[in-house]
Amino acid sequence: MADPRRRSPLAHRAPLTAEGGTLTIAERPLLGRLVLRVDADKGDAAVATVIGAGLPKAVAETALSEAATIFWLSPDEWMIVTAAEAEERLAADLGAALAGIHHQIAVVSDYYTAIEIAGARARDLLSKLTTLDMHARAFKPGEARAGIFAKANGVLFQRVADDAGGGPAFDLAVRWSMADYLWCVVAEAGHEWGLPVEHPVAGEPLFH
Amino acid sequence: MFVITCPYCGARDQTEFAYAHEAHIARPTDPESMSDADWAEFVFMRKNTKGIYAERWMHAAGCRKFFNALRNTATDEFLAVYRIGEPMPEVSAEGPATPCGEQPGSGNDAVKIMADDSGGGGR
Repeated sequence: MADPRRRSPLAHRAPLTAEGGTLTIAERPLLGRLVLRVDADKGDAAVATVIGAGLPKAVAETALSEAATIFWLSPDEWMIVTAAEAEERLAADLGAALAGIHHQIAVVSDYYTAIEIAGARARDLLSKLTTLDMHARAFKPGEARAGIFAKANGVLFQRVADDAGGGPAFDLAVRWSMADYLWCVVAEAGHEWGLPVEHPVAGEPLFH
Repeated sequence: MFVITCPYCGARDQTEFAYAHEAHIARPTDPESMSDADWAEFVFMRKNTKGIYAERWMHAAGCRKFFNALRNTATDEFLAVYRIGEPMPEVSAEGPATPCGEQPGSGNDAVKIMADDSGGGGR
């Protein structure tokens, strides 16, 4: 049961849509997130029994199942994204399955939020914020990469393919403390395609 | 700006990386018996080579793993990257002794002028 006092980092921001619908940004609040560290070869089978998908083994790879999505963060570190409020149960199940294998599971749901960037101009918008190669040949659907977006670190995941109706959709996972800043930077980057200007609640300048 | 190839993540922009100084510096096996001079050698003294230099980098914004790299410090060319624990690959680099190809020596203009006065020629 969700605590009614729980408030997402961008609860004060309403979704934005550009005129013409080439861009929309919205928060995907309160998703369950875990960070798992384990030896990939030893933990793979145990994770598969719980989540229904094994650990991705190389950069940008993800594993999807009904229970969760697993992002590759480093050779021995993964972010597991699941439904809101499902993460504690998943962490317990993973802990039981990995018993006897040296591992660490951290529940980081309250540490992150995700900004969804969708629409035909989503790749163009992200190209303005990051040095990652955002070309459709380089960043494919279902891939996730960590990188720098404006001045914030984040993990970018392409959830919806480019040829889907309405264009690609990306989830940009960012830390709570940087979420409002990044929201405003994303809106500023999309301003040329019709997103409205947003101002940080703390009043800090977006660019120096 | 240059592109660094992380051995785990592939080619990424320099801004994602943190520099971690000279590689292959072994920790002392017998710290109890080391003199202050030995400690200073271990803690502070670095080669600062002009040419091929083995150094550590960390992919701070990506996988956050340390790795080793061989860089030509005269040209900033990355000649090889390899994971921690892997042997240093054999590389060779031929390039200008200095990035612009000028005579090697001090960057201090006063010293260059003195060299000219003594018949060094050039500039």
